[in-house]
Amino acid sequence: MSGAAPESEPEPSLATTGLTKAFGGVTALDSATVTFHHGKVNALIGPNGSGKTTFFNCVTGMIRPDSGRVTYRGRDLTGRPPHRIARAGLGRSFQLCRVFPRLTVLDNLLAAVRPRGLTGQLGRSGGREETERARYWLTRMGIEHLEHAEARQLSWGQQKLLELAGVLMSEPELILLDEPAGGVNPALIDRICDLVRELNAEGRTFLIVEHNMDMVMSLSDHVVVFDRGRPIAQGPPSVIQSDERVLGAYLGV
Amino acid sequence: MRSGSDTRWLRLGVLLVAVALALSFPSMAPSPYEITVGIAILNYAVLSTSWNFVGGFTGYISLGHGAFAGLGAYGTGLLVTKAELPPFAALFAAAAVVAALAVPVGYAALRVRGASFVIVSIALVLILLLVFQSWASLTGGSRGLVVPRPFPGMLRSEHHRTFYFLFLALLAVALLVWWVIDRSRFGMGLKAIREDEDKAQSLGTPTFTYKLVVFVVSATFTALAGGLYALWFGDLDPVFQFSILSGAYMVLMALLGGVRNLYGPLLGALVVGYALEYAKVEFGDTPLHLVVAGLLLGVVVTFMPDGVIPAATALLGRFRRTGETSIREVTAAELRERREENDTTEVSSERSST
Repeated sequence: MSGAAPESEPEPSLATTGLTKAFGGVTALDSATVTFHHGKVNALIGPNGSGKTTFFNCVTGMIRPDSGRVTYRGRDLTGRPPHRIARAGLGRSFQLCRVFPRLTVLDNLLAAVRPRGLTGQLGRSGGREETERARYWLTRMGIEHLEHAEARQLSWGQQKLLELAGVLMSEPELILLDEPAGGVNPALIDRICDLVRELNAEGRTFLIVEHNMDMVMSLSDHVVVFDRGRPIAQGPPSVIQSDERVLGAYLGV
Repeated sequence: MRSGSDTRWLRLGVLLVAVALALSFPSMAPSPYEITVGIAILNYAVLSTSWNFVGGFTGYISLGHGAFAGLGAYGTGLLVTKAELPPFAALFAAAAVVAALAVPVGYAALRVRGASFVIVSIALVLILLLVFQSWASLTGGSRGLVVPRPFPGMLRSEHHRTFYFLFLALLAVALLVWWVIDRSRFGMGLKAIREDEDKAQSLGTPTFTYKLVVFVVSATFTALAGGLYALWFGDLDPVFQFSILSGAYMVLMALLGGVRNLYGPLLGALVVGYALEYAKVEFGDTPLHLVVAGLLLGVVVTFMPDGVIPAATALLGRFRRTGETSIREVTAAELRERREENDTTEVSSERSST
């Protein structure tokens, strides 16, 4: 995005050192050391089973790594429970989009509000300020007309947008999206790409796991390629696209 | 907006009528027997409303909630008889003890979800049954524990009337607390746990603490109901106090009325409590009242999986359907149109990349 300007050293966002996780005999993450860039759109790609989702789950606290460290902007998050990591500024979506199926669309967003103190906890959910904020995000996703519908009544694509709105409602700095284009029609993929660009321009960092190469290459500033649980290449999309190891491991050329 | 305030007035009206009926019931009852049936039903209503703090908000189904009622009952009884506390001080002290006990119990039990949690909750009540049966020197074992009446010298019918209102007051407090949580941010977090616990946690909700807090609240109200029962009934037997059946009744009543609804467990208690009482009167000391309970459970699960209140609301909604269309009827073209409208009004931050 900064075109001709010389690349200054990017500020690290999420970073891992020696992150390892084995499930029985299968090593899903094999001493993965990666750094993502703050303020950028980062992508994580790799063939199925290369450890991308395990990486996601380890850095968001859903599963505990066997060894290694996870830091976010220099702060150690290793082994923290998911809600602590969320409160440190990381928001995530799930591979098979997860919403709260029997809450209304509006309540799905209100559930992402983090109250403070006893009065905050017992205060009424859906006050004016938070409802307005929720409506703002629903409007940006283009699903504000569905606010009273139950989430399970929404189409797949609408649920994807709802999930993103919920994540945004929790005010993250870094948004981790696990296959945002999975099972989504081309028009909506464009819509999601636009949203990622807009939100990035507004200052949010992204880390996207995605199989849709067009999307990854057009959207991201920094790409990390995983194979067998560790990064085999990282760099800007133009470099990655011509990297022979990547072509061999991933594109099967 | 009009239909919103309409339903609010309707709700308020129904509530006022229900309160008036509940308050005047003892004076309309033909004999003290009817009042005892009323007390039994109110006791069930408090128990299932208490159960619904955990079951309704978080979706964790506890079949062992009878344990907390039993502990509340025995705690009250023992504090009156052995520690010679005044009856109502004993009631609240016992509830406080149960609340304290519910912290480690919940800490262990709430680590597992789904069927495992159900089994852990059953284990709790069975273990306590063995303890209270075997520890006869303290609890009286199978011979039972006699709890002296809190109002000596009061006529039997007056005793029943008093306890009817005490149970009614306890029910009102339990419902009020449920209502406060239901509309709070804490409650929204609990409902998110019910829907998808991992997702809720990934959004920043401290799910374990939330579950533990509401578990303790639930156990405390259950213990208060058990303790009040001990003071009213005056005779405790471990077999009935620590019975899986009492936990199962709480679940059945809450499911029947609807666990997502404030009045669901109360309505369920009215139906099931009355049915149980009817079966006991008609068929005497046979286990036929259990058959009645089983049949009710079958009917609910088959025809009204969400309970009576949601089923009735849906039925009403079908009659008063207005011109409003379902969301499925918004076409893709309309959606795009709306989106484009938004895009133009939105501060769209176009970037000149690529």
